[in-house]
Amino acid sequence: MSVCELPDFSDESLLRYSRHILLPEVGIEGQQAIGAAHVLVVGMGGLGSPVAMYLAAAGVGRMTICDDDTVELTNLQRQIAHHQADLGRLKVESAAAEIARLNPEVQVEALARRVSDEPLQALVAAADVVVDCCDNFPTRHALNAACARMAKPLVSGAAVRFDGQLSVFDLRHAESPCYHCLFPDDGGEANDGPCATFGVFAPLVGIIGSMQAAEALKLLAGIGESPVGRLLTLDARSMQWRSLKFKRDPDCPVCLQRP
Amino acid sequence: MPTIAFTHHLQRHAPAHTVAVDANSVAAALNLVFAAYPALRGYVMDEHSHLRRHVAVFVNGAMLRRGDVLSNPIPPDAEIYVMQALSGG
Ligand SMILES: [Zn+2]
Repeated sequence: MSVCELPDFSDESLLRYSRHILLPEVGIEGQQAIGAAHVLVVGMGGLGSPVAMYLAAAGVGRMTICDDDTVELTNLQRQIAHHQADLGRLKVESAAAEIARLNPEVQVEALARRVSDEPLQALVAAADVVVDCCDNFPTRHALNAACARMAKPLVSGAAVRFDGQLSVFDLRHAESPCYHCLFPDDGGEANDGPCATFGVFAPLVGIIGSMQAAEALKLLAGIGESPVGRLLTLDARSMQWRSLKFKRDPDCPVCLQRP
Repeated sequence: MPTIAFTHHLQRHAPAHTVAVDANSVAAALNLVFAAYPALRGYVMDEHSHLRRHVAVFVNGAMLRRGDVLSNPIPPDAEIYVMQALSGG
């Protein structure tokens, strides 16, 4: 993006984002980049809640949020964008209202549908960063394929029980592996059971989701290094992290589609 | 001697702790564990004895090429870690 497209800050915005602007790693330019950015967040459940809330509070200019679910009582134990009064409401509507409460400057596009269909490439193409907060493998692979084709950075998180996973696939760069390089979808059926039948430790999705928000903001403001080619895994029972390295698979069929 | 450990997700069917395995490849190490935990095989391998979809194996913290990971020789200090993709969000 060119400098002339960056938004000017009002006095109120300077104050609102002052604790970011004070960070030399962010500064005015980083905060302007965050404000000019468009982030696609897929899934408004346990991970999507803290992602959307931190991105909104941090001043991401535009967010497209996707989810076709409605808020159920079983969600409220951990999906903190949704409240008791939102029961039965579309999650994207409930989350959009929460985003507006946090920061009315954020423009939100709420899409009440699954994204593993045709408009996905257009949605990905319009975004600067894509954050995968979904709850199923077909959507994870579809999002990865769209990000690979459109050369967009993908921040991937997952959380079940006490176990979390996080990685960034920066598909703008040729050397970055993709999700399929790490977890190919060949090799028989996955034998991992439906996720809805597992429990989820409430703050686990907060930990992983907050890290996804952090990685998205880092990408937008050009801060530090992303965990590209590294899979971070958390066992929250012992609060032990592992950092596992992986490379682009020269035989990956998804990477063959990359520009 | 190499060691092998499994993600918590698989530990219902696998050793709960890291175990030493007298093996010179990941395949040999897995077969030793499968002998003691037969139900584990179906979670790690498909019917063609390839790694099952969404299972990844790391040796000393790094992933090897999927086609080679089972058969390649491993060093005596190899730490094998078998894990599975999570989809929950
Ligand atoms: Zn790939």
